[in-house]
Amino acid sequence: MSADLRAVTTLDRLIHEPARLLIVTILSSVASADFLFLQRETGLTKGNLSAHLSKLEEAGYVQIEKTFKGKLPLTVCKLTSAGKTALKTYRQQLQSFMEQTG
Amino acid sequence: MKENFSDVEQRVKRYWYVDGFGELVGGGGMCLILALYFAAQQYFGDDSLIGGLLQASLVLVLIGGMVLVRRLINAAKVRVTYPRTGYVEYSTPKNKVFAGILSGVVGMIMAMTFIFIVRQFNRIDAMVAVTGVVMGIILLVKQVWTTKVKRFYLLSAVALIYGVVLSVSGFPRGYNLGLFYALMSISFAISGGLTLKRYLDENPPQTDL
Repeated sequence: MSADLRAVTTLDRLIHEPARLLIVTILSSVASADFLFLQRETGLTKGNLSAHLSKLEEAGYVQIEKTFKGKLPLTVCKLTSAGKTALKTYRQQLQSFMEQTG
Repeated sequence: MKENFSDVEQRVKRYWYVDGFGELVGGGGMCLILALYFAAQQYFGDDSLIGGLLQASLVLVLIGGMVLVRRLINAAKVRVTYPRTGYVEYSTPKNKVFAGILSGVVGMIMAMTFIFIVRQFNRIDAMVAVTGVVMGIILLVKQVWTTKVKRFYLLSAVALIYGVVLSVSGFPRGYNLGLFYALMSISFAISGGLTLKRYLDENPPQTDL
């Protein structure tokens, strides 16, 4: 088995989870997004989304900040440099695996 | 997960247009400003002091209009959109200034070439024809191809039709450009208004903030 195929076993399990993969994919397309937007786009419940965001924040992939836009309170999430790198690596590994086995 | 990465990214980019404020306030407002500008310019005439000042201030009108419109859109989104469906801040492309300048230069060269060609036909108002074509192309390329917002196909076609029809309409040339922007302002307002109505119907205010 080639090294590229074996590399699939080293996929980042934190990002590989479908809900978290969707969250980081959405955040990779924008500078930042708030909790409500992520909840609507992912279809997750508040508790579920909050749990996934906590895991991503603990890993240093997502930065969460409570702020205001005018008088509107927002919980804003942003993908960190580590998160962007992790997503990029994940996509490269997955693409390589798909090409090898396609 | 049935969507692929690019579907998710496209959907996120389209979110900015979900409420119609871009067209209603942005397109409608900007075109209204330009319609009033060109109508005033024609009314006062090139020989008057006010006419001369207006001619010299086109760039200021454009920049000022864009700043005003952007602030109005942001204010509308803070009050209406963000509390209903959430807030997104979009990334600024790294080479935005360079890309903007390059696009402007290419656009001007294309427009001047087209004006030169069209001016060979004296019965055609070249300026309004070119304006319609350029606006149609911008809407098609920037809006439809990059964001895939389908209603911009219609707005692109409308801009082309207005430009072509007005260029051969026989109306006094000076008023054609003002009329073009007035018609585009109405078209943007209708498109944005209908989109906003659908958005508000589908997304009632959040009650558990």
